Amino acid sequence: MNVRAPPADPEGLRAAATGHVLSCTGLTKSFGRRRAVDLVGLHVDAGQIYGLLGPNGAGKTTTIKMVCGLLDPDEGTVAVAGRDIRDLAVRALIGYVPQEVALYPDLTARENLAFLGRLYRLRGRVLGERVDEVLEVTGLSDRARERVEAFSGGMRRRLNIAAGLLHHPRLLVLDEPTVGVDPQSRHAILERVRSLGAGGMAVLYTTHYMEEADRVCDRVGILDHGRLIAEGTKRELVARLGEKDRIDLVASGDMEALAAACRSVPDVATAAAVDGRVNVVAGDGRRVLPALLEAAERSGAAVHSVEVVEADLESVFLHLTGTALRE
Amino acid sequence: MRAALAVTGASLRRVGRDRRALFFLVVLPIVVIVIVGATVRGFSTVRVGVVDLGAGRAGRSLTVAMQRAGNLDVRRYPSLDAATTAVARGEVSTAVVLPRGMSSAIRSGRAVTVAVMADRANSTQQAAAAAVASVVAEEGALVQAASFSSSQGLGSYEQDLARATTLQRRAAQVGVVTRIVDSNAQTLPQGFGYSAPTMLVLFVFLNAVASGAVIVETRRMGLYERMAAAPVRQSAIVVGETFAYFTVALGQALLIVLVGAMVFGVSWGDPLAASVLVVLWALVAAGAGVLSGTLFRTPEQAGAIGPPVGIVLGMLGGCMWPLSIVSGFMRQVGHLTPQAWAVDGWTDLMSRNGTLVSVGPELAVLAGFAAGLILLSTVRLRRVLA
Repeated sequence: MNVRAPPADPEGLRAAATGHVLSCTGLTKSFGRRRAVDLVGLHVDAGQIYGLLGPNGAGKTTTIKMVCGLLDPDEGTVAVAGRDIRDLAVRALIGYVPQEVALYPDLTARENLAFLGRLYRLRGRVLGERVDEVLEVTGLSDRARERVEAFSGGMRRRLNIAAGLLHHPRLLVLDEPTVGVDPQSRHAILERVRSLGAGGMAVLYTTHYMEEADRVCDRVGILDHGRLIAEGTKRELVARLGEKDRIDLVASGDMEALAAACRSVPDVATAAAVDGRVNVVAGDGRRVLPALLEAAERSGAAVHSVEVVEADLESVFLHLTGTALRE
Repeated sequence: MRAALAVTGASLRRVGRDRRALFFLVVLPIVVIVIVGATVRGFSTVRVGVVDLGAGRAGRSLTVAMQRAGNLDVRRYPSLDAATTAVARGEVSTAVVLPRGMSSAIRSGRAVTVAVMADRANSTQQAAAAAVASVVAEEGALVQAASFSSSQGLGSYEQDLARATTLQRRAAQVGVVTRIVDSNAQTLPQGFGYSAPTMLVLFVFLNAVASGAVIVETRRMGLYERMAAAPVRQSAIVVGETFAYFTVALGQALLIVLVGAMVFGVSWGDPLAASVLVVLWALVAAGAGVLSGTLFRTPEQAGAIGPPVGIVLGMLGGCMWPLSIVSGFMRQVGHLTPQAWAVDGWTDLMSRNGTLVSVGPELAVLAGFAAGLILLSTVRLRRVLA
């Protein structure tokens, strides 16, 4: 990666002018002929938790790598606190928490944190204090001297996040931090992210779990096939649907045929099969339900249960992309 | 620089925690040095056949003396024919014939002839005959002393012979060590002098290449990516990782040198030249180790392919047998490997009393190998990090 000196903005004047901690404009990245990220622009302010939603392969990780300076964009810019990401020193403002648990399994929690802290130019007493602090914050103080290989999956994830907080970053970038985590640890991680946002840290959070985005994110961007197809607060996005409901049919049989049959029903905006159910977005859920059940019978699928819910982020995603997010 | 040292420190700490790595770094090389050293030491003894045609006590005494000589491997044969066949087949270098009536002839003061049979084509027959002659001369001195003493009426022949033997054991021994001084030795010294330097060359390289798996693992765990997200230049990560490999290789080499010198009495030659050779070899190994870590996709690949490659290079380079015994073509092929130049360097230092100047060509070639491998590994690791 070439690190070129950006135009100097030592005072962060542009950041002050825009108020954004993270500002991405026109980010584009291709791998061969495949365009992984296409003209993505987003901003994250201090204290804001921005959720980047999308299925696997939507371009979330590629976007995050460009934000953290790990990938050079083909086009577009990334600025943190108004300073170009190509300035090496800017990376000290970012706390990167990768999707994998990027820690040495044969070193202790404390040794891992001390090593990573040194990379962020922390030394001596300050380093020791910061290590203690993040261990405390993530509830791992009593396991500090144990090797990471002895940790549970949830503890490793928490330590992975702790490592991203060591240097008190202004922007925390979390790439699917709850993948493979038990419900209790997931709850703890989400609570921690919320409190970090409440404490004034800007957070960029990618996930393909809708309920996570629903729960912690102030603002959401929906990424599909490399493009940011919608962005706003949860309320703004749901309002785009108008007066629509989501109907979840739990069924067995040919789910794709069932989804196609549902789409043929009048007033159905879209329907998609996912994990033993078909999610349907329709104008008035209760009114369209009998026709949906008739269509299901014609398709040969056996419907076991039906749930009509108010429109949520999942409905928005389904409506915008015509597909459901797979967990 | 501090970031690079942090990377080095983390890698070294991990090596220190890895019991398997410590076994291969410390225990295995020493064990192999002992085994190979003991085996190669066997080449310096010669096999001698003995046929006792009824020589009596004097014959048995001479046989025991040959067995105690240290450099003779004595094998008994029941008949002259069997011994002759053994010589012809090369099973023994020479066969010593102890004549009938040898004891009584000696006691009566008559001259006794001990025949030594040898095959002219056998390259060790002269050394064997000389060793046998030396033992016979020693025994002859005892017999002469006992004969003289008994003739002076000081006691019986048997009593005087026992007294002479006891006196000989008490007397100060004068040891003789044969050293080649014609500056043309093509091989390392025998015993541990052979196994220690060759195993140093083999194992330091082998372990470095095998531990390329650590780089593959670090890459797969996403740690390099995490490091690259910090305000750290790629070059610091590359330097830090390479320095860790160099430190491990150097540590292993120094351990072998120290154990070789202090436990096995290996003389490594000119200290300055030996030090430069060790450092250059550690650099070669570090470059090869980092390079292997960037070539393989999984740690299992690195663990499965790296060591065999290192062993083959060691074979070609003269770590398993001297290149002086292979054909000219294979010698040339061997010198395409850095191992051959390292072994040549040790041969010059240990067998020909070489100096920094005399091993200059070997050191220059090794420096070239080290520079090339480190450059290549740096380019590859940068690509991995990007």
